Amino acid sequence: MRALGAFWFTVLLLPPIMALAVLEPFGQRMVALVGIYALMGLGYQLVFGQLGALNLAQGALFGLGAYAAALTAPALGGLALAVAILAAAIPAAIVAAATLRLQSHYFALATLALASIANLLAVHGEGLTGGANGLTGFTASLPRGPLLLAMVWICLIAGVLLYAHLFRGGLGEKARLLRQAPLVAATLGVDGGRWRLAAFVVGGGLAGLAGAFSAAVSGVVSPEATGFSVMVLCLTSVVLGGARHPMGAVLGAAIAVCLPELLRDLQGAWLLAYAVATLAVVRWAPEGLAGLLDGLRGAGVEEPSTPVLPETLPPIAGAQRLTIESVVKRFGGVEALAGVSFTVERGEIVGLIGPNGSGKTTLLNAISGLEPADAGTIGLDDRPIERLAAHLIARAGVGRTFQTPMLEGDTHRIELARVVSTGAAFLLLDEPAAGATDLERDQLALLLRRLRESGRAILIVDHDIELLTRICGRLVCLDRGRVIAAGRPAEVRADARVRASFLGLAEAAA
Amino acid sequence: MAYALVALGFVLALNASGAVNFAHGDLVVLGGATAVVGGLWSGLAGPLLLPLVALALGAAGIVAARVAILPLAARPPEATFVATIALAAIIEQGLTVTMGAAPRTAPSLLGSGSFDVAGLVLGRQPFAIVVVGAALVAAVWFLLERTQTGRRMRAVSSDRHMAHAVGIPVSRYIILSLALAGALAGVAGLLLGHQFLVAPTQGAGHMLKAYIAVALGGWGSVPGALLAALGIGAFETFISAGFGDAWASAALYISVLVVLAVRPQGLFGEPLGRRA
Amino acid sequence: MSAVLEIGELSVGAGEIVAVLGGNGAGKTSLLETILGFRSGRVSLFGRDVTSLVVEQRVLSGLGYVPEGRRVFAALTVRENLEAACALPADQRRQRVGEMLALFPMLAERPQARAWLLSGGQQQMLALARALMNKPRLLLLDEPTLGLAPVVVADLLRRLSAMAADGTAIVLAEQRAALALGVASRGVVLSRGRVVRHGTAADLAADPTLADSMAGDDTET
Repeated sequence: MRALGAFWFTVLLLPPIMALAVLEPFGQRMVALVGIYALMGLGYQLVFGQLGALNLAQGALFGLGAYAAALTAPALGGLALAVAILAAAIPAAIVAAATLRLQSHYFALATLALASIANLLAVHGEGLTGGANGLTGFTASLPRGPLLLAMVWICLIAGVLLYAHLFRGGLGEKARLLRQAPLVAATLGVDGGRWRLAAFVVGGGLAGLAGAFSAAVSGVVSPEATGFSVMVLCLTSVVLGGARHPMGAVLGAAIAVCLPELLRDLQGAWLLAYAVATLAVVRWAPEGLAGLLDGLRGAGVEEPSTPVLPETLPPIAGAQRLTIESVVKRFGGVEALAGVSFTVERGEIVGLIGPNGSGKTTLLNAISGLEPADAGTIGLDDRPIERLAAHLIARAGVGRTFQTPMLEGDTHRIELARVVSTGAAFLLLDEPAAGATDLERDQLALLLRRLRESGRAILIVDHDIELLTRICGRLVCLDRGRVIAAGRPAEVRADARVRASFLGLAEAAA
Repeated sequence: MAYALVALGFVLALNASGAVNFAHGDLVVLGGATAVVGGLWSGLAGPLLLPLVALALGAAGIVAARVAILPLAARPPEATFVATIALAAIIEQGLTVTMGAAPRTAPSLLGSGSFDVAGLVLGRQPFAIVVVGAALVAAVWFLLERTQTGRRMRAVSSDRHMAHAVGIPVSRYIILSLALAGALAGVAGLLLGHQFLVAPTQGAGHMLKAYIAVALGGWGSVPGALLAALGIGAFETFISAGFGDAWASAALYISVLVVLAVRPQGLFGEPLGRRA
Repeated sequence: MSAVLEIGELSVGAGEIVAVLGGNGAGKTSLLETILGFRSGRVSLFGRDVTSLVVEQRVLSGLGYVPEGRRVFAALTVRENLEAACALPADQRRQRVGEMLALFPMLAERPQARAWLLSGGQQQMLALARALMNKPRLLLLDEPTLGLAPVVVADLLRRLSAMAADGTAIVLAEQRAALALGVASRGVVLSRGRVVRHGTAADLAADPTLADSMAGDDTET
């Protein structure tokens, strides 16, 4: 994600300063509303924009904050704002924790259910929420007027700056990985569930705060605040502004608040125009209006920083041996791995060969925790890792690359650089030479030797036997889920069973 | 029963396009609105309006596909998510602007009131809904299971790549599925529009019920979605009788959250042979 | 004799079985996908340039495809798999299905069974029968022997020979060179997407360095 930059920083500061200095109360109210919706949108950008999670509860969390503020303001005054944050963040935390591992279409449903429950509570909980009429008369002890405006915008500016700062570089890159290729993220040690929880809670808290401010501005809270229309407005304004742009929420909110004024003659049609504009943006300008403006300014497109191999490869502490013992993996009735055993030591390169369907990628998946083994053990020195979650195995020092790059713009080189940068001691490489030219193969061989000399262990799957012979100290040959030969490259290549398996001659190889 | 039609259309569209259509609920409302306007304009009675509504909403389904779903097939799921939500908002706002926010009544099928059958009092409209709904479900079942068109639709849903490779014109069948989904939504809107009225804001509620039905019944399973929809209807009626409508809905949503928390793979798991 | 298929250096005539050999990643599947139209590339089928035709159009002009991993329509029954793949009108279609079931007795045993319940061998036969529904003049098979019992493999290869004898052109992509060369008349070896060897089946089969090419080591050529 790009840095905020002077241009946008100015744009960010302008509205509150101008409002306080020049505008009348009506104008100030509008600017306050822009700030409020931008706060809610900023929170939404965390969950939806950065992590790509299909969240439909942001509107309801806004409403919960509004109600909490209205209910507690008479007693607590300004502290009601803090209560509002909690009133939104806690339900968000509960739902997110319960739904950490859900696939996206189920997660969307969970947020939708949460939102609906909040709405029902608002409409029917007459004793607490005043039912359909809502709550009024609570603003006496809440900030008002210019003070409120200032508070809203201070929070917003701080939020935008923090967001822009945090998501530049490393964090933004990790979010992109989680969004586009969650499997890759897991094998790099990123705990997707924890991220989603954190984003949902912080995002929800911001929505709750925005709701509280909104209650203070309008002086009335009604079930509308938890209705679906607020959610749709939040979503569309964030998308229109630019789901990942630091100023996306602000721009979107500005349009959402100002458009109805501009189109006053058209009555309700402004929402229609808004929705059409959103659809158009999704189809033809996915970076949103902020992105479009940046393009017009000539600000250039921010390329994600490509991982580069470090110049020097420092030695790494940690386990010295990866042991694979009698690993079995079944799919349906078929044994993809029928008892595979061998070891990989630090400072060696082991090549894994075998015909198609012999189980090579399945074995890598089992070691890295993406497809846990059904039986057998996998250990780093004395520590068994076969039952650990993928991101924990990665943190224990096991990294891997994939046969086909899973991120847009990735190549094998970039994948490899990324894995090496994690400092993993054991590297599992799945066909890193596929589609490479001769020159690239030589470079790869050189790189792998360097990695070996720095004390790393490499298990490499590939079909280029000539390359493997050059760089590997040992070869292990799989056929139909079993090891049929292991040893020095020359020996394995000359082995009759190995040659037969490649030609498909040996029916009785098992 | 009408909810079963909504869920049926929803799951057919899901299987064909691989994407959740958040505008599906608003297609239901659009169907009801079409019935209202059509009835006023033409003076036609309910049963004659039915095919007209079906055709009109079938066309609407095709437009929805062309505008918000097919062009975004290659993009990440967030894109279709936003596009269909935007489309839902467009339909809802469009209806609000043209018809106003006040609820309208759609023409009934057999007239209002009730009749007496062997001592039991049956409402005319609910009876008509059950009959028409069951007939449509049976018709769709026949289409899917007994005709070449239905077989090819199922093949496309099962494995799109291979459907191409056996000579099936895939795009045509996806559009057909989405048109059928639209028609089913529209008819459901007409059926529901007499008892429950037609208001632009109802779309979200319809979509949510269909979404729950598909999630509980096994993502992508047609009989599962139907059973779940009927189950949801029964569940709500039951709880409503004892505790009122609000509690019925609340109980449903809480149950959904519990199910999702406890069984992340859905109540019956993903049906075999589904390509994600 | 005009070629049934021309793509790059490869040309296949009616009644020929050409083995396309090479290890995984050598480009066998990419080649087949290009012929079908899933990937772009110049292809000539039955004497005309079909580069601009989409997959369905090429298939209907006379192509049959048995993909790697069979990929039958899992939720459909055996009979429905065959019917869905058939472009003929209803009564001719019924007749054709009957012909297929007669040709494949193991499918005729349980035509109402859902395809996902079948064994690997049965699914392979179903995939083959499905590919034959539109009477293709060119049949493409991608590693059809993978994971099959020897008896089934032998049956499959016998059928391919019979089809070739009837005039169908066949492109058989295989890792198991010996099997493929046993039925083929010619063969080509791919490595990294390029043809690195070609010759008659007999020549290739007799060559001791073939295993090296298969395993990706083609420094000898």
